[in-house]
Amino acid sequence: MTATAPTQSKGLMRTLFEPPAVGKMATGTKLVVYGLLLAWTLFVLFPIYWLLITSLKGPAEVNSGPFYVPFVDFQPTLQAWKDLLIIDYEDTLRAYTNSIIISLTSTALSVLIGSMAAYALARVSFKPNLITILIFVAAMIGCFVGIGIYGVDWRLTLASATAIFFFLAYAIGKRVKVPLGNGDILFWIISQRILAPVVVVVPIYMMFQTVRLLDTHLAIILTYAVVNLPIVVWLMYDFFSSIPKDLEESAQLDGATMIMTFREIVLPLSKAGLAATTLLVMILSWNEYLFALFLSTAKAQTMPILVAAMNAGERGILWWTMSAVIVVMIIPVVLLAVALQRFISKGILMGAVKG
Amino acid sequence: MSASAQTATREATSQTKSLNTAKRLSMRNLNKYYGEFHAVIDLSIDIEPGEFLVLLGPSGCGKSTALRMIAGLEDISTGTIELGETDVTTVLPKYRDIAMVFQSYALYPHKTVAENIGFPLKVAKVPKAELDQAVLDAANQVQLGELLGRYPRQLSGGQRQRVALARAIVRRPACFLMDEPLSNLDAKLRGFMRAELKHMQRELGVTTVYVTHDQIEAMTLAHRVAIMKEGVLQQLDTPKEVYNNPANLFVAGFMGSPPMNFVNGRIEGGTFTCHQGRAPVAGYGDHVNVEFGFRPEDTVICSEDEAHLSGVVYSSEMTGNETIVTCTIGHSTVVVKADKDYEIDMNEVVHIKADLEKVCLFDGGSGERLRG
Repeated sequence: MTATAPTQSKGLMRTLFEPPAVGKMATGTKLVVYGLLLAWTLFVLFPIYWLLITSLKGPAEVNSGPFYVPFVDFQPTLQAWKDLLIIDYEDTLRAYTNSIIISLTSTALSVLIGSMAAYALARVSFKPNLITILIFVAAMIGCFVGIGIYGVDWRLTLASATAIFFFLAYAIGKRVKVPLGNGDILFWIISQRILAPVVVVVPIYMMFQTVRLLDTHLAIILTYAVVNLPIVVWLMYDFFSSIPKDLEESAQLDGATMIMTFREIVLPLSKAGLAATTLLVMILSWNEYLFALFLSTAKAQTMPILVAAMNAGERGILWWTMSAVIVVMIIPVVLLAVALQRFISKGILMGAVKG
Repeated sequence: MSASAQTATREATSQTKSLNTAKRLSMRNLNKYYGEFHAVIDLSIDIEPGEFLVLLGPSGCGKSTALRMIAGLEDISTGTIELGETDVTTVLPKYRDIAMVFQSYALYPHKTVAENIGFPLKVAKVPKAELDQAVLDAANQVQLGELLGRYPRQLSGGQRQRVALARAIVRRPACFLMDEPLSNLDAKLRGFMRAELKHMQRELGVTTVYVTHDQIEAMTLAHRVAIMKEGVLQQLDTPKEVYNNPANLFVAGFMGSPPMNFVNGRIEGGTFTCHQGRAPVAGYGDHVNVEFGFRPEDTVICSEDEAHLSGVVYSSEMTGNETIVTCTIGHSTVVVKADKDYEIDMNEVVHIKADLEKVCLFDGGSGERLRG
């Protein structure tokens, strides 16, 4: 009876997946549980340990391996670290600075713009007309064809395309309506991320080539910001939607302006969501390889490119140096995760509504 | 001047102030459409300054929509709302000088009780000292004085409800709106908060619109009750009038617990007749489809020769202070409130007599009240 009672009150899924408190278990069960947890921890941490000791090995130890314990199995050396931090000091530092500047700026941009878009989508009901959108797309294609193929002056093309768009939107869009909703907009935004990046990398390369921005921070920052925007919108939409609308309506009736409501009520309540999203987007930009490979050649190279470059030396793969670079590369992500971890806690909305 | 005297003066001034700021609220021909759906139909109500008006009806009758239109949270399709002398139909919620208590309480979870209560004043940029004093006054009024430092998640349901009330009264608004504020409390606490709410509203004298589906709340709290069904106002009157003189079948069936009994039949020559009996209804013309309505407490169980109607007992329940006898009369189920010592077995034949002074007759088709 007592065994079935919680199942009924909590639901099957929660009973299955909610971990029971370890403290309440019998000693035997406790040993098994802790044993399994320890085994899993070791399994997860081993690659990082391997990375650390590989960075302390020389070519001989790596190639004749496997050696597991420094000072016992092999004599550790700081040669790889010396190569990385002293001999190739300039390259490492440049890539490191580039990575930090690019991921911080692009993350800030996409979180700022994306969360505003997500808030609007979660709170305002939009009814865009599909016909008007199609007219806009047609006008844009016409614009490109005019400039690209027929070589018409871009100012002239742009002006006439705008005029044609407004005329058609007014003449047709006002009469024929195929209304879309917020769900459609959200899906369209997410669908941009479903598209594999490799499909657009060449057009993006050519675009930045045309405006002479290749191998600059700006090109990579803009690309990352745009690529990560859908993820931010998607995640933050969920967070904003989970904030009870009553709270905002109540604030409005209490006399708060929209900005005030956002600052005083919505923002403090979405800290957890913002922290999680920032962390995720930051890691995505930090690790990104494909766009960085196309858009940078020397000055704007990021860490992943540097790591990959270790692969291409005439001496074969430099596992020891590569390990050292990867260790250096992991550090900021770990620090950021630790810093943001305290915001990513559950139960922040408890007590807002009902009991 | 001593501190207590200062508080007394402050209380007195705020009292006068609140009495002066109580405003008339007028809804004129309000309509609300959601696409094709007509949620509120031509609603017109004038609410006097300081009046407690209850909007009553089953769920989906448009009462909450009407309240949200007054608050400005819902666009008004057609019609106007006036608060005092001003037309607020298109005024933003924040400029309406209205405070609302939500069904969910809508407390800010990241703010303490004091910050929650003080939020409307903080927004209005009230000086710190004055704000603190007002928060304390409001908190004391709802017996929350000791909990000011807590967070909503550390409070019980009843305490959260009080915080929501304190946040509404702290600003001394022109009008209170309450959307089923007691529905999340357990029965005992609800009864207690009801009394407290009534006392507070009468003391503050603020015009109040209160939405509920609970007719007991409506009966006990309201100066006047507005009963709605499918977006249409059915009757607007004092609780007593609505109870004793329902305008139609819906109102009669909605008010009262247990509700009014109905037996279908016809009127012929001043007598109501059905298969299970007859009753004299002097002054009513002939009518073929009539609902004969009588309240359980206006009905007695009697001997066969005095009876208006006869049926069999379906069940008999002793509640402590009375016995509720449910009988089957033809196709209708009729409830009679009998003396607490009355005993009768299931399936026994029972004869009942209604108090003819208090009987209400309705047209069986339209549900409209028939007047003699």
